[in-house]
Amino acid sequence: MRRMILALMKKEFLQVMRDPNMLRMIFLMPIIQLVVLGYAINTDVKDIHTIVYDYDRSELSREFVRSLSAGEYFRIEAPEYPVLDAARGFTENRYTAALIIPEDFSENIDRRLPADVALIVDGTNANSAAITVGYAGIIAGQFSRKVAGMSSPITMRQKMMYNPESESVNFMVPGLVALLLTMITSMLTSMAIVREREVGTLEQLMVTPISTPALILGKTIPFAILGFLELSVALAFGVLWFGIPFVGSWPLLYLLSFIYLFTTLGVGMFISTITKTQQQAMFFAWFFMIFAIMTSGFFTPISNMPQSVQYMTYLNPLRYFMTIIRGIMMKGSGIEILYPQILALIGFGIAIFGMSWMRFSKRVK
Amino acid sequence: MTIVAVENLCKSYKSLTAVDDFSFAADKGEIVAIVGPDGAGKTSLFRTICGLIQFDAGDVTISGYDVSTRFDRIKPLLGYMPQTFSLYPDLSVEENLRFYAGLFGLTGSQFDHKKGPLYEFSGLGPFYDRRAGDLSGGMKQKLALSCALIHDPKVLILDEPTTGVDPLSRRQFWQILKQLQKQGATLIVSTPYMDEVALADRAIFMHQGKKLAEGPPDRLTERYRGKVYRVKVEPSTERVGQIMDIGNVDVRRFGAALHVYTSASTVDDRLIGQLAEIGIEPDRIEPIKAGLEDVFIQLMGN
Repeated sequence: MRRMILALMKKEFLQVMRDPNMLRMIFLMPIIQLVVLGYAINTDVKDIHTIVYDYDRSELSREFVRSLSAGEYFRIEAPEYPVLDAARGFTENRYTAALIIPEDFSENIDRRLPADVALIVDGTNANSAAITVGYAGIIAGQFSRKVAGMSSPITMRQKMMYNPESESVNFMVPGLVALLLTMITSMLTSMAIVREREVGTLEQLMVTPISTPALILGKTIPFAILGFLELSVALAFGVLWFGIPFVGSWPLLYLLSFIYLFTTLGVGMFISTITKTQQQAMFFAWFFMIFAIMTSGFFTPISNMPQSVQYMTYLNPLRYFMTIIRGIMMKGSGIEILYPQILALIGFGIAIFGMSWMRFSKRVK
Repeated sequence: MTIVAVENLCKSYKSLTAVDDFSFAADKGEIVAIVGPDGAGKTSLFRTICGLIQFDAGDVTISGYDVSTRFDRIKPLLGYMPQTFSLYPDLSVEENLRFYAGLFGLTGSQFDHKKGPLYEFSGLGPFYDRRAGDLSGGMKQKLALSCALIHDPKVLILDEPTTGVDPLSRRQFWQILKQLQKQGATLIVSTPYMDEVALADRAIFMHQGKKLAEGPPDRLTERYRGKVYRVKVEPSTERVGQIMDIGNVDVRRFGAALHVYTSASTVDDRLIGQLAEIGIEPDRIEPIKAGLEDVFIQLMGN
């Protein structure tokens, strides 16, 4: 039994090493995805191009504009179009915000009257528009207190935990590592099994004394090992290149990844039982991935989803692993906190791997 | 001693009957050739013997073990070479062999002892590190056979091992099979080539899932009813038409000549006269012994 599993594993690794595409997929893909997503998916809102129509032209109005541009959030530019034509700049993507200071601005402040300013924001990207408005509101509030001495009874002092700079890369990379692990293990497993069926070697294996459990283990263990390799490459790249913090326990992350692999390898095996060609397998694996990614909280928080979709996310094993990997890496969460997710993963692992094992055994009999 | 026994085997796929009440047996050290056109049911028959598909009715035993219940005991005795090349094209010759050796539980040193003789008779030695996918058709088949032999099986099931292989490689392949037979193996081989059938100890004609005839190849030719003439003329469609017009005869192209079939079992002088009338001189006409193909075609027609 042991010798047969080893023979199968050795063959599997030989085949992976022989296939340049496979090697690229395993080692190059994670790095490219990390670089692209790490830099491109930047939800940080900085350098908001803003034009200012200052009709007041007073010392006070200029100071207000300066306080806006003091941080790294707003970049103030001179208007190119008359104020009635300001929308043209939005359609031409020249700026995303326009500030209009009316001529009675300083006068109203001197008289301790409410002074209105208008901020017009390009709402195409709702997320960054909301953040822009938020920043501007905070700065306006500070300006009011300072200049006019108007004090509000509540002063909010903000402190962001775990990701103080709000670096989206710190949040994206752990999520991406989870995606890569899922993708590699489920896709490669399904394709490797289907390839045997496509070429006809699966039938050849059936006339050898290899038992079904040995066959399953010999076909899945190599991809579990590759999964760990993938995990390590991606994590090392994230920590060393992007300098993302890793607060929690490495052994715990590897242990929970191991538990999670039962689910992804099981999915791969299941896909192999419902497909006949590698293309079909890839298509199904892709379909699974899209569902898993969209409902995992990778891009958008689950709590922002409609209630019905939120219920659906409970069926997504990636959702739990996403919470686990972000929790361990960013907050240093331990078992005592993550146990609901861990239990869910154990349940999914047993159910999916077990079901696929039975389906696979039935198909090869 | 009977090694393989197939009794009243039936296998059908939905509306198609692939194997229809088929029985045969193979004795120890015998080469049995199963002959039939494409779609005769040869592959289905072999796949049921190898336990790869379930059958609807009948019994299959190998070395006394029932295929459907004791297949685990049969596996070590059985070597199967499927019709389509089913090895790993991206692995080398030796890696393929080593892999199958591992699956049959051979240790590394056992394999090292085993590979020498396998390389020797297959002639694959010089190509040990070539990828299987880069081998020629004949070499591929020899590698597939070598993989099927890695565990010294007592019974070899070979599904059209020489189809699409050049004539020289086919001859070499059969020399290997003869050698295996001498070592005591039982071989069941399917083939579409009649010249190979003559090399078997016993031939079974299979058509539409049924057994048409069975026996030693030289005895099977005696079953022919009627007479066969070899007519050495250009085998043109025109000629075939002219001879068919004589009536009561059948004509087939046979290489560079024509075969004319009559139902009379003695030489028909009237026919020779009629052929002379259409310009075929008697010295171009030669009565010959019916070949296996002639027998097969006649049996298929009935």
